[in-house]
Amino acid sequence: MKKYLVFGLLSLCLVVSACAKKQTVAPEDTEPGVEQGTAVDTNIDSPEFAEEPSIRDINIDSKSTLSIIYFSLDSSNVSGEALSTLKSNANYLKNNPKVNIVIEGHCDERGTTEYNLALGQRRAVKIKEYYVQLGVSPKRIATVSYGEEMPADKRNNEAGWAKNRRAETKVIVNK
Amino acid sequence: MVIKKTVWEFILSLNFVKKLLFPIYCLFFFTVCAYASNDVYLSLSSTGSRASIGLSDFLPVNGLFEEMSLSRDFKDVLENDLILSRHFNVAIANTSYKFDMDSQFSYWELKNVSVLLTGSIAISDMIKLTISVKVYDIESRQLVWEGKYSDVVSNYRYIAHEINDEVVKRFTGEEGIARSKIAFINNSTKFKELYVIDYDGYNLRRITKDNRLNVLPKWVPNSTQILYTSYLYNNPDLFLVDITKNKRKAISTIQGLNSPTSVSPDKKTMVSTLSRGVYPNLYLLSSDGVIIRRLTQGKYIDTSPSFSPSGREIVFISDRAGYPQVYIMDIDGVNLRRLSTKGNCDSPAWSPKGDKIVFTMKLDNTFDIFLYDLPKSKIIRLTEEQGNNENPCWSQDGRFIVFSSTRSGKSEIYIMGLDGSGIRKLADIPESSFTPSWSQGL
Repeated sequence: MKKYLVFGLLSLCLVVSACAKKQTVAPEDTEPGVEQGTAVDTNIDSPEFAEEPSIRDINIDSKSTLSIIYFSLDSSNVSGEALSTLKSNANYLKNNPKVNIVIEGHCDERGTTEYNLALGQRRAVKIKEYYVQLGVSPKRIATVSYGEEMPADKRNNEAGWAKNRRAETKVIVNK
Repeated sequence: MVIKKTVWEFILSLNFVKKLLFPIYCLFFFTVCAYASNDVYLSLSSTGSRASIGLSDFLPVNGLFEEMSLSRDFKDVLENDLILSRHFNVAIANTSYKFDMDSQFSYWELKNVSVLLTGSIAISDMIKLTISVKVYDIESRQLVWEGKYSDVVSNYRYIAHEINDEVVKRFTGEEGIARSKIAFINNSTKFKELYVIDYDGYNLRRITKDNRLNVLPKWVPNSTQILYTSYLYNNPDLFLVDITKNKRKAISTIQGLNSPTSVSPDKKTMVSTLSRGVYPNLYLLSSDGVIIRRLTQGKYIDTSPSFSPSGREIVFISDRAGYPQVYIMDIDGVNLRRLSTKGNCDSPAWSPKGDKIVFTMKLDNTFDIFLYDLPKSKIIRLTEEQGNNENPCWSQDGRFIVFSSTRSGKSEIYIMGLDGSGIRKLADIPESSFTPSWSQGL
């Protein structure tokens, strides 16, 4: 865990310095979500963390290739394979600092509607926390939960459910 | 046949014959009742302590064919209401066409019926409907209540519901629920849209036509308004729709989750689950969606709020123990108490009388409906081995619970008594239906 934090902080410094440089070059560039030179607080309790870009009136970039992160039953923890997926997604986001994203949290159908809506939200926020720790500005990341309402796999078995417990990172294109 | 009838009427018209023949006459009636298919004695009571109501035909005032036909349909609706109320035993017969009141009283007396409900039906100008209703006490042969209802013909079901609720109120002192409606989500359009249906499974109406995802409808008490979460503009926003005006507006549109909501009994505030960029927590909002204060903190899930009838407490779900459990706290966020001790719980709903909480809990593989009895601190199981049973919600009188169940192989809406008895499917509706909410005081 510590390793990732260090890695995250280092990457953050890189991003911050890169942005600071960019700002001097193009100070009029104030596109929403692009880091603006000051270090962001990566703490989830900070007001910055909770600032999300709006997902109203947006399109999703269907060409984006960010990978899906899967969870185990009733859990929002990330482990093993999912962690390396997370890191490669984060690297892409750091290399494309103008890209804003929405993280969609999903659940399998075995839970209840209300709880799953909250669980999907927690999964999305958990992934957002990881991205932020890995150096992505929280202001670029929106979260949304679909609970159990949008299954990726309609099969009513463990293989299907495993595909549905997921967080999808999608690139936002403003209309 | 015609001759027989005339002779029979002639004999009956002689008063002394009538008196002499009375016992035979009654015997005749019993025989007719035993063989005629529409004369059924109905009883849902296992205790025998309920009042028995006799329901006879509503007389067509102008002798119109439309009146006779509507009279039968109207009686069917009212009969069904009286049975579903589970306050009465219901006996029906078509006596009022043929006999004077004295003969009718004697007939019903023999059936051990204590109350007679009868009346007349008139249609004028093709669409105007007037229904007069009379309720008699059989023993004293006194008229105890009469009423007159006017509406358009197409609203005859509503008049039957009104009469049922009036009868229930007069005999039990409680508000009837026959005019109530149930809101739910159905996926037959391949999307999830909001629907409303009468409590007896009629008048199905689609409310949203967005071709989008709509979830978790909740009635605002004593109103024709429903709160629900819609992804109309991508974000799960909280909407309010008025089903009579067919108008809706966005109530809470904070980026992130704006969902399951319970409105306080005085309708001034509501509790909603908001994420606001972080984890889903409970917030107290004004009725127009402005945040008054945050009620819970933390990285765990707090959701599924339901107000107590006093408006001073809420019951909700939290997984702060590691798995979702039922908790109660005061509306200012203090005095937290845990009710359940095991399983995965969700959708708690506080009973209208305040003494019970119904919720769904998964102990092994399936979700079932359970009651938490607050004075006794005891959990009572209501459903068992019949698929997943979720999203329980109370009727306004607290005597029934509506819920969704997968017992038929797909999710559908069912209603059962407070003790789990008398389960009935609300209606045969295509595809799957979810998350019912029962109107309160509509």
